[in-house]
Amino acid sequence: MGRNPYHPKPTDEDSSSASETDTLLAGVGYTVRSSDLHHVADRLEKLDSTIIAAAASGVPPEFLCSSAIHYNPSDLASWIDSLLTEVPPHSSPSLWTDATCLPPPSSFSIDAHRLGKEEDAGIRLVHLLMTCADSIQRDDLVLARSLIDEMRLLLPLIGVGYGIGKVSIFFLDALDRRISFLPQPTKTVLEDEILYSHFYEACPNLKFAHFTANQAILEAFNGCDRVHVIDLSLMHGLQWPALIQALALRPGGPPALRLTGIGPKTAKVGLRLAEFARSVGVPFTFQAVAAGRLDSVRVKPGEAVAINSVLQLHLLLSETGPIDSVLTLIRELRPKILTVVEQDADHNKPAFLDRFTEALFYYSTLFDSLAAGGGDGGCSAAAEVYLQREICNIVCCEGSERVERHEPMGRWRVRLGRAGFEPMHLGSNAFRQASMLLKLFSSEGYGVEEVEGCLSLSWHGRSLISASAWRARADSAVALVARHRYIIL
Amino acid sequence: MAGGNEVNVNESRMVVPLNTFVLISNFKIAYNMLRRPDGSFDRHLAEFLDRKVQANASPVNGVVSFDHILDRQTNLLARIYCPAPDPADVELPQLVAIYELQKAPSPNPFPVIIFFHGGSFAHSTSSSAIYDTLCRRLVTLCGGAVVISIDYRRSPEHRFPCAYDDGWTALKWASCQPWLRSGKDAKLRVFLAGDSSGGNIAHHVAVRAVQSGISISGNILLNPLFGGNKRTESELKLDGKYFVALQDRDWYWRAFLPEGTDRDHPACNPFGPNGVELEGLPFPKTLLVVASLDLTQDWQLAYAEGLKKAGHEVQLLYRERATVGFYFLPNTEHYHEVMKEIKSFVRCDL
Repeated sequence: MGRNPYHPKPTDEDSSSASETDTLLAGVGYTVRSSDLHHVADRLEKLDSTIIAAAASGVPPEFLCSSAIHYNPSDLASWIDSLLTEVPPHSSPSLWTDATCLPPPSSFSIDAHRLGKEEDAGIRLVHLLMTCADSIQRDDLVLARSLIDEMRLLLPLIGVGYGIGKVSIFFLDALDRRISFLPQPTKTVLEDEILYSHFYEACPNLKFAHFTANQAILEAFNGCDRVHVIDLSLMHGLQWPALIQALALRPGGPPALRLTGIGPKTAKVGLRLAEFARSVGVPFTFQAVAAGRLDSVRVKPGEAVAINSVLQLHLLLSETGPIDSVLTLIRELRPKILTVVEQDADHNKPAFLDRFTEALFYYSTLFDSLAAGGGDGGCSAAAEVYLQREICNIVCCEGSERVERHEPMGRWRVRLGRAGFEPMHLGSNAFRQASMLLKLFSSEGYGVEEVEGCLSLSWHGRSLISASAWRARADSAVALVARHRYIIL
Repeated sequence: MAGGNEVNVNESRMVVPLNTFVLISNFKIAYNMLRRPDGSFDRHLAEFLDRKVQANASPVNGVVSFDHILDRQTNLLARIYCPAPDPADVELPQLVAIYELQKAPSPNPFPVIIFFHGGSFAHSTSSSAIYDTLCRRLVTLCGGAVVISIDYRRSPEHRFPCAYDDGWTALKWASCQPWLRSGKDAKLRVFLAGDSSGGNIAHHVAVRAVQSGISISGNILLNPLFGGNKRTESELKLDGKYFVALQDRDWYWRAFLPEGTDRDHPACNPFGPNGVELEGLPFPKTLLVVASLDLTQDWQLAYAEGLKKAGHEVQLLYRERATVGFYFLPNTEHYHEVMKEIKSFVRCDL
């Protein structure tokens, strides 16, 4: 019918920008090589006509594709190809029915007039906090002290209802501690566990982490008869009943499950999980390993290994920290999947003011989400104490004492890549289920985002916590390094 | 070319640049998978597939953006785009929002554009990459405009009039912000803009505005979404030919309009049998962009006629051989010329 005036078909001479991605499509979120555009366009046409043909023979498009699991929609070429392999349709219906048209959420109301005055005072407090942090960075502790006194006077004007006003109090206290050289409050393992479980209840963050990691582990364990999960920090083992249940319901029957729980006092938790596994018919054994003793974990030949790290890896990032040796240990265990969940924030910047600012805005978002959750008073208050400890650690501590060294997912991607891991994309199935979980348990404002195969939980668009999955690269050079224990690079 | 025995030549592939064809075909196929015949919508898959970007308070090409809640009662979120502030005034990206929101009215006039993204009332958000890119462009294009992209509630979960209410809430919010006022008279120089369903929302918010005494400097409607019960010639002739089918349009109206109503509802057909009289109201001047290969063009042209008959100023840009979505990628004359017209439209009365 004639030539397209914008883009004639490429001739053999047009090989110049062969491997470049189309910049305009990249600017709107899609990665397609310029040289692939014609091919992708052809495949789109093919997919379109296939869907039309299927519709004509009675299969509607949405049914055709609803059972497909989508991965990385930015990579258009592979997304289209994966859909093409879904056609003709296969018969297994999705286990989940989609609940759309849900009732509207309850509104979060606040007196509009009062809001104006409070917001002004809150904004002023933020300015003062930043100035104080800056003076600490410059070692002007006299100025810092006077600013702290000034801020304490401002406090009664701040509404403690939500957002930055509320969290400022914790940051103010932390700054005060830092310049007063007060020792960190002593913590017991019991306290830690209690606060952790309140935090778990008060907001969906940890549930999201567990849920998403479990989904990835479940998919990785497909077709395996003997599976072994290694949890880098067992705590109450809150993550595992759901996985055990899902394995019990697996078509074809459950695998034999081994769980290795690392941490203090894990034996009791192990017993409870064993009871539960028995009650649902999953063959189960538990191994307790002391905190920090990943090196003593053994894997058996023939078992599929999943290593699970929820909010653990950042603890290893101090200058003398063992992150590299831990990642090497993990790789040597030859896991089928490594699930990593981390706070998506940059609280490890070397300059104090930068760290302080990042943390101020991150935790204010987090506290905002806790407040809107409107959970029972007790849980929220304890959850705030849990977070307050993190804040104190970030603001008051240095060196090996500063363990809350959160880093954004982008940096973990680089670090894990260097350590010999490659990403496994979490797909639309995990996304869908995480979204549905949020709708059931949480207030409006939470969202799930997908970025380069990782899923993150966000509050009003601000990413709070990111979940990702990895496997060891099959690289023989990497395997050699692991075996011979010397560094090539 | 693969599949050489195909008889149907895909006409849409012939009239747009290849990357545009890939982009819009991708949307067409993806959206097809999300709509169900019973009127429900696969929202989870929709959000998964939507390519989104975060707001960025560090300057990129001289523009910063941040998300802001305009109204806590409805949790109405907007993404605000501004020209990057002077680094001497704001040292850290996290302080940009605070700095901007606290500014006093500026002596130099600047336009404020409240933008409603498209998506036929069901798709996309203010963080969708296609719209983030477009809004950033508008800031620079209009010589330093503030663009406020509204994350309005979408159908089928939230039908008429939710999206309009959200637009109205946004406009009321804007009219209370000192930092959005400018010029010797410290006025809010606000334009309502949108594409597809966003254009429809802009119209209805403008009506409510002028009925309530808020002055709008102008409306910018890009391929706005209007319709009616009647099947027009363009709908029949172009059905299915250029990325859009009449069946889809029908689905989106059924998902948006109140149950039991039809396409002659005034939301869909503002100059139809149930329309509101606009004569005598200080309705703003309108820049209306119509693509000749958009099957809803007859309704858009009827809209222009309706405005003119009511005595209101309409500048019509009818783009020959343009399809829906031509404004997403800066790779055609359509894109560049329309952007030029938007720029003059916005800056001429400042």
